[in-house]
Amino acid sequence: MINYLIVAFALTLVYFASTERIITYIRLIGLQGLLLCGIALFELSDINLGNLLFIISETLLFKAFMMPFLLSKIVDASGVTKVHRLAMPAFYTLLFSIASLLISVVLAASMMNNYVSTIYMTIALFALFTGLILIVTHRLIVSHLIGFMIIENAVFFFSLAMGSKMPMLINVGILLDIFVGVLILGFFGLRLKAHTNELTRLKD
Amino acid sequence: MGLFAFFALSVILAILTLLIRNKAIIRMIMLLFSAAHIAVTVYAWKNIGNTELTYFTFNHSGVLLMSVLAFLLLPVVYHGFIYVAGDDARKYSIYHSSLIALAAFMTGAYLANNMTVLWIFVEATTLAVAALIYHDRTEIALEATWKYVFICSTGIALAYLGILFLGFIYGREDAASLSFEDLAGMINTVNPLYLKIAFLFVLVGYSTKMGLFPMHTVTIDAHSVAPPPISALISTTLMNVGFIAIFRVYTLFASSPVLGFMNNALILSGVLSLLIAAGYMLKAKHVKRMLAYSSLENMGLVAIALGIGGQAYYGAFLLIVLHSFVKSGLFFQMGQLHRVLHTFKLDETGKYMNAYPAGALVLITGMILILAFPPSGMFLAEFFIFKGMIFQGRWILAVIVMVLISFIIYAMSTRILHIAYSEPKEYATPLPPGKVNPAETITQFILFAVVIALCFVQPPFLAEIINQSFFMLPN
Repeated sequence: MINYLIVAFALTLVYFASTERIITYIRLIGLQGLLLCGIALFELSDINLGNLLFIISETLLFKAFMMPFLLSKIVDASGVTKVHRLAMPAFYTLLFSIASLLISVVLAASMMNNYVSTIYMTIALFALFTGLILIVTHRLIVSHLIGFMIIENAVFFFSLAMGSKMPMLINVGILLDIFVGVLILGFFGLRLKAHTNELTRLKD
Repeated sequence: MGLFAFFALSVILAILTLLIRNKAIIRMIMLLFSAAHIAVTVYAWKNIGNTELTYFTFNHSGVLLMSVLAFLLLPVVYHGFIYVAGDDARKYSIYHSSLIALAAFMTGAYLANNMTVLWIFVEATTLAVAALIYHDRTEIALEATWKYVFICSTGIALAYLGILFLGFIYGREDAASLSFEDLAGMINTVNPLYLKIAFLFVLVGYSTKMGLFPMHTVTIDAHSVAPPPISALISTTLMNVGFIAIFRVYTLFASSPVLGFMNNALILSGVLSLLIAAGYMLKAKHVKRMLAYSSLENMGLVAIALGIGGQAYYGAFLLIVLHSFVKSGLFFQMGQLHRVLHTFKLDETGKYMNAYPAGALVLITGMILILAFPPSGMFLAEFFIFKGMIFQGRWILAVIVMVLISFIIYAMSTRILHIAYSEPKEYATPLPPGKVNPAETITQFILFAVVIALCFVQPPFLAEIINQSFFMLPN
C-alpha cells in the first residue's frame, strides 16, 4: 500500500510540471498533504502514539487543508489564475522534470545504505528538484510559494525516510512547516495586493 | 546558570517591551538588556570550554563572535533610539522587542553545540529580523521582508536537508545524538557522498544568513529597506551567525576525506561572491546596496580563506571581527546621511562634506578601513589570506582575487568621494540639508579606532581565542 502512495506522490510531481493553472497547483498541494498523511500513517506506525498523532494532524490539517486554503485566499486577493506569460512553457518544464527524476534515481542509487529506503530517497530528491525548478522557471509569487511548499514536502519525505528512528527530527521539520505557513502565507501572503504580485521594485 | 539567566531575562524583557508602551521605560529596558549581554559575555569568557543547558557550549569561536555582538549591541541600541524616536509607541515597542529577540537568538546560535539546536536558532533569527525589516510598514518594506523571509525559509529548508543527511548517520544504532561532539567520532565511517551532499546543502542553506553566493540576494534587498541600525546587525553579527553555522559543519567534516571537496566549494563560492560584488558595485546606484555588496565581498574573502586554510584561517577570523566593526560604523552613518541628504540614491547625493563634515569624515575613514588600506586592521587580515594563497602556490587564485578587489576599490572609492565632495547629479528632493549633532559620530569613531589599533597591536587574548577557534582544523 505504502508504495502505491509514494508512486501517487511522484505522479503529482510530474503533474506539477505539466500544468499552468494556479488552482490545479493548489489542489495538487492539498492532494500531496493527504498522500503524506497516508504515508506517515503506515511508515511511522511503531513510534509512540503522541508523536504519531502530532504528525498525522500536522499533515492532515496543515498540509492538506490549511495551506491550500491560505493559497486560495492569496490567489483571490491577487486575481491571478494562470502562471505568468513569461514563465517557461509546460513542455520544457516537463522535460526538466523527467531529467530531474532520472538524476534523482541515479543519486539515490549511489547513496544506497541499510538505514534509508532508496525509494524514499528518490522521491524526496525528485520533490526537491521539482520545487526548485518551479521557483526558478516561474515569475509569480504564487508559483514561488507553491515551489516552496513542494520543497517543504520533500523535507518531510526525507524526515519520514528515517522517521521511526528519530521522531525528534520530524517534529523539528513540522516546526519549519508551521513557521513558514503562518509567517509567509498568513502574514505576508495575505497582505500582497494584485499589483505587487511580481515584486520587482527592489533591484539594482 | 549564567546562560539560563540570560535567556530567561531576554524572554522577560522582550515581553515587557512589547507590553509597555512607555518610551522612557523601554529605553531603560534596552540599556539593561545591553548590560546583561555584556555580563553574559564576560561570564562566557570565564567559562570557556564549559557546557550549559545541555545544548550550549562556550567554545572559542562562539565566544569570540558573541563578544563582537556584545561590543556592537550598545551602539546599535543607541542609534536605534535616534532612528525610532518619532515612531508611535506600538512600532517603538515592536522594534525593541524584536531587537532583544534577535540578539538573544544570535547568542544562542553562536553557542549551540548541536546541529538541530543551531538550526532552530538560525531559523528564529529570520522571524526577528523580518519584524525589524518591516518596521517602516511601507509597500517596499513589505516586498523586502517578503523576499527575506521567503529566501531565508528556502535556505533554511535546504540547511535542514543537510542536517537530515547527517541524521542518516545518527539513525544508526551506535550514534548518540546530533551534537557536533558525538558526530565527530563517526564521520570517517560514513559514505563520503553523504558528507559532500550534506555540506553542499548546509553551505547553500546557511549562505542566506552569511550573505554568500548563491543566496546573497536576500541580504542585499533587506539592506536597502531595513532601518540603518538593523542593517548594521544584518551585515555583521547576523552574517557571523551564517559563518559559524557553516564553520561548525566544516570543522566537523574536516577530518574526513571530503576536506578537499569542501575547500573547493568554499573557494568557488567565495570567488563568485567577489565577482558578483565587483560587478554590482561598479553599477551601484543606492549607497546602502553598495555597502551590502561590500559585505558580500568580505564574506567571499572569508569563504576563500576557509578554503585555503593554514594562516588564512587566522585571517578569516580577524576579517570577520574587524569587518563587523567597520561595516556597522558605516551603516550607522547611513542613518545620519539620510537625515542630512534625505536620500540613499547615489545620483542625488553630494557635497556631504559641506553639509555634515563629521559624517563625511566617518564615510571617508570607513571607506579606507573597509577597503583594507593601512592602517586598517583588515589590511592585516587580508595580508594573512593572501599569504596563505601564495604559501600554497595558488597564484592564479591570488591574481583573480586581487583583480576583483581592485574593481571593488575603484567602485567604492569613487562613489564615496562623490558623496563627500561632488555636486549631486540630480536634485530630486527640494528639502534643505538636515541637521545632525556631530556627537552622534562618536560611536563610529570608537569602532574605527579599535580597527586601526588592531593593525598595530593584537592583544594576546584576541590572538589566543582566534587561534583556539580553528586549532582542530588541519594546517
